[in-house]
Amino acid sequence: MHIPDGYLDAPICILTYAVSLLILILCWKKAKSEFQSRFASTLAILSSLIFVAQMLNFPIVGGTSGHLVGGTLLATIFGPYIAALGMTIVLLIQAVFFADGGITTFGANIFNMAIIGAFSYYIVKLLAGKTPSTKRFLTSVFVTSWLSVVLGSLACALEIGFSQAFPADISVTVPAMLFWHAIIGVGEGAITTPLVSAIKYVNPSLFSFHFPWRLPINETEE
Amino acid sequence: MKQKNETILLIATIIALAILIPFASSNPDGLERVAESLEVEEPAPLWRGIMPDYSLENIDNPYVSTLISGMLGVCLVLAASFIIGKAVSKGESK
Repeated sequence: MHIPDGYLDAPICILTYAVSLLILILCWKKAKSEFQSRFASTLAILSSLIFVAQMLNFPIVGGTSGHLVGGTLLATIFGPYIAALGMTIVLLIQAVFFADGGITTFGANIFNMAIIGAFSYYIVKLLAGKTPSTKRFLTSVFVTSWLSVVLGSLACALEIGFSQAFPADISVTVPAMLFWHAIIGVGEGAITTPLVSAIKYVNPSLFSFHFPWRLPINETEE
Repeated sequence: MKQKNETILLIATIIALAILIPFASSNPDGLERVAESLEVEEPAPLWRGIMPDYSLENIDNPYVSTLISGMLGVCLVLAASFIIGKAVSKGESK
């Protein structure tokens, strides 16, 4: 879903850069008050895991492939603000070193994958409710992962559809993008859910930031 | 996360990369597929990166090339997100 340079015209590049930067500044400020430095290494390792997962495309039907985005994964563990920053780092390294995603379209790619992925956190919260069972929690994670990819692809479809540089309008791009990403999103859920489940099993207290009700009583970390 | 668990997760990530590279699909992704079906040519990139398409120019073996560029990418992401994590946090706690 990484938009290359040349698909988006100048107004849309500028608009998406502005919106994404504003949201990232907000995330930085919010994250500052809640993130603790001892979790920097966990963030770094999970961001690298997402980078690797994004390299490994899985095939879907019709000669098409997809890959994990990972926004919901990071958001479930760290909440939306730090997840948006972590995802942006992955996208930045991809764009600068691997030319995966354009430079002019970087703002749009941040919005579609980092910001939508990170803020899908609120969908997990909404679906899971206040005191979810493990099953309900993981089901919420699966559904949200799917939805985050579909919503990201919708944003991408609107951006390329409204762009004068892309020769198709939203009546074509929206259904086409939604069709493929409704399938790719299943892969997102199928990868995210067992990872969240495994991380929760190994280290339940990681979820204590944002899902404190999930902590069994007397759970200790170190 | 405990340091031991973190180390295990990092090693597992690299092993997964090494094992799964040959199985990764080279088919177009969702957006590329849509662009192809509309016969939109991908414009020449403004910036080719340092390791375009996750490969190194002077390594012929595609597996080794992707593996090394992937591992370099992991190092870059590790370093950058660790710095961001440290910078964003207040530096308190234990």
